[in-house]
Amino acid sequence: MFLINCPYCGERDQSEFSSGGEAHIERPKQPTELSDDEWADFLFMRKNIKGIQFERWNHSHGCRKWFNLIRDTSNDKIHGIYKMGEKPPKV
Amino acid sequence: MLDIKLPEFEKKVYPELELSLLEPSYKINLRGKNRDFFTKAGKLLSIMLPIESNTSANIKNINALWLSPDEWLIYGKDIDKNLEINLNNEISKLKYGSVTNVSDQWVIINFKGKNIFEVLSKGSPFNFNDFKGKKNVVVQTLLNNVDVILHHQEINDLNLFVRKSFSEHLWLWINDSSRFI
Repeated sequence: MFLINCPYCGERDQSEFSSGGEAHIERPKQPTELSDDEWADFLFMRKNIKGIQFERWNHSHGCRKWFNLIRDTSNDKIHGIYKMGEKPPKV
Repeated sequence: MLDIKLPEFEKKVYPELELSLLEPSYKINLRGKNRDFFTKAGKLLSIMLPIESNTSANIKNINALWLSPDEWLIYGKDIDKNLEINLNNEISKLKYGSVTNVSDQWVIINFKGKNIFEVLSKGSPFNFNDFKGKKNVVVQTLLNNVDVILHHQEINDLNLFVRKSFSEHLWLWINDSSRFI
């Protein structure tokens, strides 16, 4: 368990949030032109690294807004939080 | 056919705590973010929608709760029924935002007394330390794993909003917890 500082509501318990997986994965502009492997790569393949990862989170039991979070997956330490559309801070 | 019958909870009194149902109440969900939306909503409600997070505004019998940067809950007893029609005509139909009547979706349980936060703390992950000392503050959180909206309108006077389908379960849980304050 850890605390997340929602950029809209403030500091809340992790149980109020839902993880949306890795952030900054762009949807291909022309999906119909992709091969099956490329499409599968976009849909399913994630880095899932041990260490600092950029993630999307949703405050599902609060303001229901999406935002980005930089988290160290090895110890759940949060290195930064920023709104959707904003540039990620340097870590 | 939808069952819009409201639950019937009898008023309960515990040491330094009173629980009662605040129904029927009128509730409207407002969503929007452009300037015209704020102007129209402010004019029709005679109240400025709060833009600061976790706060509320009230005038006479109307309360406006901040839910997110582009969403508010308007509620109150004895609200003029034409308000919804006017909001629909001036906001929804002109596509400045959305207006939804959620009167039958949410049930309001009123808490009064010094032990409000003793009970809520038993089942919520939210830290009430700062919250309990302020009035006109709002928080959306979990209580016994049920989504709730808490409106602390006055010190030791709080309205809890819970979805109707969860209300009976939560009412029983609150009463059970209140017995052991």
